Amino acid sequence: MNSRNETNATMVTPATDILERKDGFHIFMDMPGVAASALSIDLEENELTIRAESSYAPASDSQNRHAAPEFASPVYQRVFTLSDLVDKEKIKATLKDGVLDLFLPKAEEMKPRRISISTGS
Amino acid sequence: MVIDFNTLYDLPKDMDRFFTGLLQSSGLGQRKTGYPLINVSETADSYVVDVCLPGVPAEELEITLAARSLIIKGERKAPEGRYYRQERSAGSFQRIISLNVPVERDSVTAKSENGIVRVTLPKSEEIKPRRISIG
Repeated sequence: MNSRNETNATMVTPATDILERKDGFHIFMDMPGVAASALSIDLEENELTIRAESSYAPASDSQNRHAAPEFASPVYQRVFTLSDLVDKEKIKATLKDGVLDLFLPKAEEMKPRRISISTGS
Repeated sequence: MVIDFNTLYDLPKDMDRFFTGLLQSSGLGQRKTGYPLINVSETADSYVVDVCLPGVPAEELEITLAARSLIIKGERKAPEGRYYRQERSAGSFQRIISLNVPVERDSVTAKSENGIVRVTLPKSEEIKPRRISIG
């Protein structure tokens, strides 16, 4: 899961929830330490690439640590392939409390529609 | 028809996989010690506890300073919907960090930024290093 990238920061696949609601899909990603300015979301064809750099820095250098650190400041990266169900023009991203919420609305023509029945008399 | 029982009864391999899974590092490559993950560090005049809590707003979090410990308590709610994939943990959590050093109890502060809560515990005056002048 972890690998090294060119800047020598650890690359991490963020924990992700993918769920469906009536209006569309939501992708939630845990990205602690990431500020909105350090986040990039790119859509190319059907590939949605999310990359974010954590700006977290411990209060002091490692020499003064009392216990082994349990988390660091990695680079988060994850790629998703979108289906045609998604309206790519209307994707919305919100970053709050270190969680990225990607809203992928369903394309209008893909939404379930009730077909009215006309009764011939 | 040929049935290969080996693929059905591969117990040693399954056991092995189970134990490797237990030993394997999770998350950021460290041994998972508890939830939430914390980093403890020290500066010249305070101890700093960083708590990794993405998705937990300040109002859902309870930080208590007990006699000799710091208690971090709260709940992380799972968003509602029909799940296709669920990797983010949800539910109530509590972690107790024991403090075996005196701190300035009245000036302990906590600040939340991008899902990481930093609790700063100023060192008690009595334990700060002091230069003794020779008379």
